[in-house]
Formats: sequence, C-alpha cells, structure tokens
Amino acid sequence: MALPKRIIKETERLMAEPVPGISAVPHEDNLRYFDVKIHGPSQSPYEGGVFKLELFLPDDYPMTPPKIRFLTKIYHPNIDKLGRICLDVLKSNWSPALQIRTILLSIQALLGAPNPDDPLANDVAQDWKTDEKAAIQTARDWTSKYAAPE
Amino acid sequence: MSLSEFDDRPTKKRRFFVEESPIIDRFIPTDAHALPSPTPDATSGTQDCESNAHLYPAEVRNNREQAFDSEMLASIVGETISQDIVKRLRELSGNDLQQAINIYLDGTWKNTINEVQSVTAPQQPVTSFSFRRKASSPPKEPCTTRRESSSVAPVPVKLRSMPKDRYIGAFGVAGWATRSGSGLVKHAEKVNIERTKTKSFTRLGKGGTVRNTSNKRQDIIVRFTNSNGEEVGRFENESSAWISALLDQKVCRLEGSVVFAPDRMRTNDTIYLQLRCYLLRSAFDALAFVKPEENNRHTGLFEAKESEDERNLRLRQVALVRLFEEINLQPSQANSMTVKNQRQGILKAAEVEDQKEQNAAQSKKQDNSGTSSPPSDDAEDGEELEQDQLDSLYKKAQSFDFNTPEAEPAKTFAMSLRKYQKQALHWMMRKEKDEKQEHKERSMHPLWEEYNWPTKDVDGEDLPEVIDQPQFYVNPYSGEMSLEFPVQEQNCLGGILADEMGLGKTIEMLSLIHSHTSRVEIDAESLLDASVNNLPRLPKNFSSVERAPRTTLVVAPMSLLAQWQSEAEKASKPGTLKVMVYYGSDKIANIRNLCCEANAATAPNVIITSYGVILSEFNQVAANNGNRGTHGGLFSVEYFRVILDEAHNIKNRQSKTAKACYEIRAKHRWVLTGTPIVNRLEDLFSLVRFLKVEPWSNFSFWKTFITVPFESKDFIRALDVVQTVLEPLVLRRTKDMKTPDGEALVPLPPRKIQIDHIQFSEAEKDVYDYIFTRAKRTFNANVEAGTVMKSFTTIFAQILRLRQSCCHPTLTRNKDIVADEEDAAAAADVANGLADDMDLQSLIARFTTDEEEQDANRYGVHVLEQIQDERANECSLCFEEPMDEQAVTGCWHSACKQCLLDYIEHQREKGESPRCFNCREPINARDVFEVVRHDPHPDDEVGGLTSSGSPTPRISLRRVGTTSSAKVSTLLSHLKRIRRGEPQAKSVVFSQFTSFLDLLGPALSRDRIEFVRFDGSLNQKQRTAVLTEFAESKKGLVLLLSLRAGGVGLNLTCANRVFMMDPWWSFAVESQAIDRVHRMGQEKEVTVHRFIVEGSIEEKMLKVQERKKFIASSLGMMSEEEKKVQRIEDIKELLS
Repeated sequence: MALPKRIIKETERLMAEPVPGISAVPHEDNLRYFDVKIHGPSQSPYEGGVFKLELFLPDDYPMTPPKIRFLTKIYHPNIDKLGRICLDVLKSNWSPALQIRTILLSIQALLGAPNPDDPLANDVAQDWKTDEKAAIQTARDWTSKYAAPE
Repeated sequence: MSLSEFDDRPTKKRRFFVEESPIIDRFIPTDAHALPSPTPDATSGTQDCESNAHLYPAEVRNNREQAFDSEMLASIVGETISQDIVKRLRELSGNDLQQAINIYLDGTWKNTINEVQSVTAPQQPVTSFSFRRKASSPPKEPCTTRRESSSVAPVPVKLRSMPKDRYIGAFGVAGWATRSGSGLVKHAEKVNIERTKTKSFTRLGKGGTVRNTSNKRQDIIVRFTNSNGEEVGRFENESSAWISALLDQKVCRLEGSVVFAPDRMRTNDTIYLQLRCYLLRSAFDALAFVKPEENNRHTGLFEAKESEDERNLRLRQVALVRLFEEINLQPSQANSMTVKNQRQGILKAAEVEDQKEQNAAQSKKQDNSGTSSPPSDDAEDGEELEQDQLDSLYKKAQSFDFNTPEAEPAKTFAMSLRKYQKQALHWMMRKEKDEKQEHKERSMHPLWEEYNWPTKDVDGEDLPEVIDQPQFYVNPYSGEMSLEFPVQEQNCLGGILADEMGLGKTIEMLSLIHSHTSRVEIDAESLLDASVNNLPRLPKNFSSVERAPRTTLVVAPMSLLAQWQSEAEKASKPGTLKVMVYYGSDKIANIRNLCCEANAATAPNVIITSYGVILSEFNQVAANNGNRGTHGGLFSVEYFRVILDEAHNIKNRQSKTAKACYEIRAKHRWVLTGTPIVNRLEDLFSLVRFLKVEPWSNFSFWKTFITVPFESKDFIRALDVVQTVLEPLVLRRTKDMKTPDGEALVPLPPRKIQIDHIQFSEAEKDVYDYIFTRAKRTFNANVEAGTVMKSFTTIFAQILRLRQSCCHPTLTRNKDIVADEEDAAAAADVANGLADDMDLQSLIARFTTDEEEQDANRYGVHVLEQIQDERANECSLCFEEPMDEQAVTGCWHSACKQCLLDYIEHQREKGESPRCFNCREPINARDVFEVVRHDPHPDDEVGGLTSSGSPTPRISLRRVGTTSSAKVSTLLSHLKRIRRGEPQAKSVVFSQFTSFLDLLGPALSRDRIEFVRFDGSLNQKQRTAVLTEFAESKKGLVLLLSLRAGGVGLNLTCANRVFMMDPWWSFAVESQAIDRVHRMGQEKEVTVHRFIVEGSIEEKMLKVQERKKFIASSLGMMSEEEKKVQRIEDIKELLS
C-alpha cells in the first residue's frame, strides 16, 4: 500500500522542523514505523533523560490514532510496565486533525504533568498519591538509570 | 451485259437464301396501287445493283440539268443497258435522266413493257421524283425516301451521308401459312412484311401509334403478304417477338423473299423466308422518338414516364442483339471488358425479367420486374448482402498500396497533411485530370460496340459505301445506335472516397479543392456535349445552365454543414477560399449570377448545402418545367466539382433525393462515404450512377453483369465484377490499416478509457433497490405466465427506470413531488439559520452585525474570512493544500470534503456519533457544506473588496449531498479538478437521457462551471452556434451532449476529456460517440471516464455489451426467433 501523502508530509516536516527535545525517525524498511526519542522536560523528574519510544501508524491513520509505546523503562503513573501510555488523545479523543508531532508533544507534556488520578500503572499511581516526593525521586532514579543519554 | 444474259442465268445456281428480286416496298399497302409483279428473270438483271441503286440519287439529282446521257445512265446504274431500254426509259422519264434511272432501277419500266399497264406515273412514288419531293404520302414514304438522299452535295461514286436505310445483313426465318390455296407464293417471290394488327395497328412509317401497339403486349404478330397484297402467313412467335419490336420502333426495314413454300399451301404449313434487313437512318439520328424525354431537361425530372421508355428500350435492345446474332454480325471493336459473354448476358437478363413477369404471352420485353405496375417497386431492389460477402468485398477494395505517390497540397492550404492524405490527394488529382488523355485518345465509350457496314450483301455483291462511314455503333445495353464515334465521355472525373470515419475525408477533399482548380478558359468539353452518347439522365439543353468554373458544391447532411464551413475556413490561408453556406434563410437569390464565369473572380469557391435543400430545389425546378436557368438556384449552374458527403444518403436510386443529386451538374463528381455499400449491391449502383461512371451507370448494364448473376446465386462472378467496378473508383483506407513498418495509418494520441465505479449514497441505493425489486417481480411474473414478449415494453420501461435511477433518483420520480420535498427541506433549514446554498459574504455580514451571535460565532467569522481571503489552508486530515473541495462543518471547521465525509463515515461505523475532527463538537452529517468558489464573473457585483483591492470572488457554502447524485457529484469533482489542473481543457459529457442533462446543467452552473448544451431539440442555427462556441472558446468549457444527437458526424477534437454518464446497450455506440473526440485532429491524449454504478444494472449492461461484441459478427445469421430468445436472456441477465 502506497504511503498516503499525509504521512509523507508529516515525516518531511518532522525532519525539516524538528520539535525541540523530540525526534522521530522512520525506519527505512517501514516508513510507518518510527523510532522516537523524547527528552524529559526540564523541572520534571525526567529531566536529563532521553526516552525511546516506538510509534506505528496503522493503515487507517489518520482515521485511527497512531500506536505508540515507551521502550525505555519509565516510572510514571500513566505509563505501564509495557510502556503503554494512557492519554485521551491516543484513544477516545483522537482526531484526524492531530498529528505525530502533536501527539509526541502531548506525551512530553504528560511527562511534565503526571496525572495519578487517571492511572494506567496502578502501583505507581498509588505511590505518587501516598508519597509524591518519594515517587518523584524514584522517577529521577529510573531516569538516570535507564534513560541516560548515550 | 444484256438482259438476255441475265435471263439465261440459271436460277438453281443461286445461293439458297438469295433474294430474287428487288423489293419495291412492302410497306405500301397492297391496295394503294397495283404493283407490278416482276418476274424473277426480269428482275434478276437489275438485282446486282439494286441495293446500290437506291443509294445513288444524290448524285443523280445533280446531273439533272444535263442532257439525257445514256452513258451517264449506264455508269450510274453500273451496267450496260441496251438501247431499247434506254429509249423506253427516256420516254417514261420524260427525258429526265434522274427519273429514268429511278425507273430503271425499280424495275417499273418493265411494267410498261410487259403489261402495258396504265401506270399513272405521278402517283407512283417509285417513279416520281416530284412526288417524292413532296414526301407527303405516308404509306408510300418509305419507298420513295429510300431512294432519296438527304444530302445534296455532289459526290461522284460514294454517298456522302447515310441514306434513308442501309443494308446490314440477311437472315432466314420461318413462318406459318395463314391461308390455304395453291400458288399463293412461289419460290423467290417477294413478300411484304407487315405489322398489321387490328385496333391500334399502324404500319411502319406512320410512327404515331407505334407505341400504343407495343403497349398491348399481346400484339407481336408479324404478317407477310404476297405481291398481290394477300396475306399469306405470319412469322413464328419466337422470331416475330423481336422482329415486331424492330419494326415498331422503326429500327429497320425488312425485305422478304420466299425461299420455300409448298405449292398447295394449307394453313399452318411452314414457309421459309429470307429477310434482308436495312437499318433505317431514323434509327440512328432520331432516338428522340424512342426516348424523347431523355433529351430534354424538363421531362428528365419526372420519372413517371420512365417505365414505358425503359421498357421500349429493353425491347429494342434485345431485338437488336437478336438481329445481330441472326445475321451473324460481329462487332469490329468493343470494350474488352464487356465483350465476353455479353450477348448471352443481355439475353439472360431479359429472360430473368421474363420469369419474374410470369407472363408467357410476352417474351423478353419488360424492364421492370412488376407485371404491369410502374417502376416504383424498385425500392427493395436487389438482395441483401451477407456480412461475409460484404467483408470480402471490402477486403479487395481496401487493398491499398502504401507506396503510391503523394501530392503536395497547394500553398493556400493551411493544414498539414499526413502521408496517406497526400496520397489521397494525388489519387484524386489524377482522377480529376484524367480528362486530357481521353481527349487525345478518343477512346470508345465502353458500352458501345463498333460494327462494320457490310461491303457485300448476302449474295456477295458489292454494296454502296458511304464516305467516312465504314462503321456504325451500337449500344447493346440501351439499344441505341449511332453513326458517330461514341466518345468515352469524360464523365467520371471523380470517384468514391471511402476512407473510414476519422481518417479525414473532409480534409482530403479540402486539399483537393485547393490544389486542383479549373483553368477558367473553356476546354473542349463543350464539343463532347454534342456526342450522341449522352446518357439518358444527362440533359442536353445546356443553354440554360451556366458554368461555374470556380465553384465546388458540397452536399452534406444538415448537421454537418457548420462543420464543413469551419473546416474549410480552418484549412485555408485567410482570404484564399470563399465559402458560402447555402441553407435556410441564408440562401441568396441567384447562384447562377454569383458563380458564372463572368464573376469568376468573386464567385464562392465552396458552396455548402444540405440534401434537403437539393431536394426542395429539385422539386421547384421540376415544377418549373425543368427550367434550371430561370430558377437561379443550385441547379442553374454546372459546378467545377460536386461532393456528396455521407453519400449513403442516396443509396436508394429510386429515392427523390438520389434522383435530385443525379441532376446536379458538375465536371468532377465525388462522393464521400464510410460505407459505399450499406447492405445491397444496388447501394453502390446509386453512387456509380451519381458519378456517371460508364458503363456501370447504365442500370441495364449493371443488372446484366451484377444483379442478375447475384440473384441467380452466382455470387463469385457478381462480386468479382463489383470489385472491378470499385477498384478504379474507390479509395478506402481503414483505421486499422498498418503501414509496412507496422505503424498505424493515423497515429492518434492514445485514448484512455477508464471505468469509474460509482457508489450509491444510501438514499440512492434505497430508490434503486425499490425499483429493482419491482422490475424483477414484474419480469418473474411474466416469465411464469409466459407473457414475456407481450409485456416486453413494460419490462423495458422498468429497466429504463432502473438505468435512470443510476444517474439520478430524481429522474425516476414525479417532478411535482420532488419539488414539494425540496420545499419542505428548505423550510427546516430556515429555522436553523442554514441553507442549502449560502452566500459567504452575506453569512459573514450576518455574523458580524448580529450582536447576540457575535461571540458565539467569532471563530466562524474567522474561518469564513479565511475562506474568503483564500488563505492557503491545508486539510488537517490529509494535509492536502489547498484543500480538495474545501468543506466546512456546522462549527465552521474545514477540511477536504471527502476527508470530512470519510471521517464522519468512519465514526459512524465505529458506532460513535460523529463529532468535529477539530473541536469535537457533535456534528450532523447533513450540515457539511462545500465551499463553492465561483469564477470571477463580469456580472458579479456581490463580492466586496479584499484588502488587496481585488474583487472578492463570490463564494457560497453549499450543503453536501442533497442536491446531487453520486454520478453528478463525481462528475463535478472531476470537472473541478480539471478546471484547477488544466483550466483550458474542454470536456464532453454524454448522456442518453436529456432529462439527466437537464439536471446536470443547473449542477454545473451552481459550481460556476461553464457549459454549453447540444441536443436534438436545437435547430441548425443553434447547433452551429453551440459547436462554434465550444470549439472557439479559449477557456475550459463543458459540452453536454445527448448521445443520440451527437453520436455521429460531429467533430469535437477540441476537447480531450469525455464523460460517458451512462452505458448504452452496445459499446459500439459509445465508442462512436467517443470517436467524436478521439479522431483525426485530436492532438492530446483523450481520457474517457465511463460512469458505472457499482452493483447496479449498469454493471450487468457491461456484460451484455461484452456478449454483444462477441455475437456481432454472427448477427446476420440469427433468426427472429433466436433474437427474441436472446433478448429475454439479456433481460434475465440484467435482473439477476
């Protein structure tokens, strides 16, 4: 199946005007598959870390949202052990008007603003709620442990 | 030589069929005067010179003044005459040498010796010159005038011109005695041959009632009487059949003598006679009496009389052929093509007529196939050709040599010709310029045969000669005879250009018009007008017809007039060709004045007219007693060239149009047709007749060599002949032809046909399904009841409804109801503040002025203003920029129309209620509006000014999907895409439903797509206007064309996009429509979209088309019954 114009355009723009702190590079053998790196937002427990994600554009994209997950281990109430992300725009609030760029920005924003009230990783959310300081520290530890820049 | 020596000559040594005595005059009624009965012995003395003698008087008369000179007498008579006789002659003649010779030669002088009969010389035509000069007594005229020469010029020995009659030969014939008795006739006795029959009897020489007699077809009896005037017997039927025709038509005179007769004769005994035959001069020069009307224009226009004349001709023709056969006279020169089996052919043709006639009483007489009816029954002349025969016919005609020479068109010709077109030009110019050779060679007319006059009679005696007339000429196909050399008329300086449609016949013809013009000086043509062999249909009174040496007349179907005109102008450098359309109210008063030679400088070079005009002017001329000149119309001039376009219009030779066209005068005659033979060989005849191709334009000839063999199943021979006819006349190339290097003859740009599979909207599908179910129910019910064929129309009507509903559901519905529903929907919109069609400008105005709404609609205003300013906006769904058919939601978010609709559909499928892709507001699928940007239009005053100062294009928002069908919207998006991509491109939209065109029109205007429309309801002027506008528009333009009106003939090469809105039953029809665009002159690739609704009857129609293609070749073989079955199968397929 030929690559829709939209995907080509999005890719081109991601290359031409990359978002600071975010990179997304398609695989050469599958242009719907992207290697994504997101820098942890400053003043967040994830600052200094570079998080790897994988992003896949399904056939009916942009009617359906992209599939995206963290490859780097991350301690976050809305991201589970498998790296899956709980984000409304990736689910019910997806709109074809959204793009890879906007989705990745949303994820970056999510790192800066964890939302333990709508958890995906229940244990993490629990920690976050009971002892936010400790949870943030754990997140920092994990970041330096797993997300250290190469 | 003395008389006694003659007397001594033993009679038995004479040849059997010797004529014993000079025949005095068997046409003189026996009671008119007591004819002396010369004894064989006595007459034998004069016999040698008898036939000479009556040829001499011209010269004799010149000597009249001289003294009676016995030497002169002897030298003239050619024998020595004893002094006694001279003396007696002198007495009898009153010292007049001329009379004396006469008296001597006719033997009457002996009467005075032997019988001393009181012959009152002045009353005796045979003896009286003075009487003869009065030439008043009809019964005696043949006798007297026989001895007279019309020429007065002195020529010593030979005659200067043809005498009243001239010996041609002798033959034997058998007769029956009609009386009993002894000594009625004896051997060597002269007999009079008579055509005496009861009521309308007339004897030869009277003329007036001859034809009446021949009309009563029973009367063919030829009687003979003895010298006493008593009827002795009659000829056998077989021979009297043709002999009577010869006598009745005054072709010849017969002198009979008895060869054998029983002494005691009883009724029905056989009598053998020898007949000497003399051709009458009147038969050569007075053809007028046989077919008077052919010699003048007036009656030539009326066909009613033709039957009688054709029949008379046929009689005469057959009789002549028989005569020549009997006297064993062979042509000394004849056309090699025709000579073979020719006589047999003619006689056979006659026999065939006879069989048709089924009237045994009459033999070989009738030309027309009906027994007594006039020739109107020829409409169905000839059998139809089977497909394979037609194929093989064309195969030969199409053998085209790719190496034939080319000709360059004249410099005034503005177009460039392809190689094969230059070859056509060369071929045509060669055909037109053929005349010069013919002038030099004076080849004989192919229909005629040359015969030598016999120089010896049947007894081996010398016959007088006529100076410069050693031969005479006979046309065995028409029965005409002539003393003059029948020149091959230069009448076929033209031909049939039968290139297949699309190869550019028109252009080829125009190149000829440019490249071969007449030298205005008069050539020798006028000399030929005098020749005897003008065909029946060629009128002779040229006096009333002006020559138009600069003008080519083009006759074309009405719908092609405008095209001819524009092509002619396009093909000519400015000012080099004057073109005039002669049609309707544009007809100017007097073509005769306009085109005549005196005005050659200003005369139009091309006059274009229609078959209808030709026919109506023909009728006018006919009503005006055939006076062409005073009419001043198309028939009043002789053109340099006439061209019949789509010439199969005259395929029926009996049709008035065809006859009218035959009458057009022109030096060069051309017909253009893609199909020279539609389905009968006679179709070709009509073209050949129009072209006046000798000999084939003679129907008798055609019949003899083509129709008769064909009808008697001698196909190979007939088709072979047709091929020989066609070969020199026809130039035909087809599109499939390949040059030797395998290249197509016409490298047309590629043609891409793609099928657009259209999907119904839900609403359309509902309508379609409903109609489909109903049609199927009707059909099944009829199948069960076995009444399919009876209710064929009902079923067919329902199928029609189905097909219409594929185009637009509204087509199938009652118009009033549709209107009501639209009103109701509109009312609902008013309540919502929305409408089907909203003007952007007023919308913005409303939002910004309405205080209450201002807040709520701030974004809306923003979006709308963006739209208005044409700010580059990309579709947020597909990233297309600008958006492909921008559409906005009710919450004023915009995207491509298709993206938006797809997304709404996607959400529906997931079971979600549709929401805006942008603001996630719930949206109503009905509230999606297209942004329709109208092209700036001069009369647009609605748009205000943008910041830049340029006028704002008028923009409106239109609700999607309500007013159009799937096909309409597909078409619109195609057209809009074309408009964006190639603003100059022109498109042609075909539909077979004009009601669908009615819907397309408003849809196009809503989108500000400019269009013109062409359908059957337009008159000629409007058609021209539409086609011109379409061809000349510099902008992109759409032509809405009804398949029926525009399927043939038109040239729409200015367009290169074709949309077939609905399939037709056979693809051939669609293909022909496509060929309007994809034909010679097309320079761009042609893209064809065929709109087929998925899962509908249209898809099944495609299957039927496929099958039709397959069986098309065997179509001719199917019986009616099979066709019915086939049709039912088709319907089953359609409703499966």
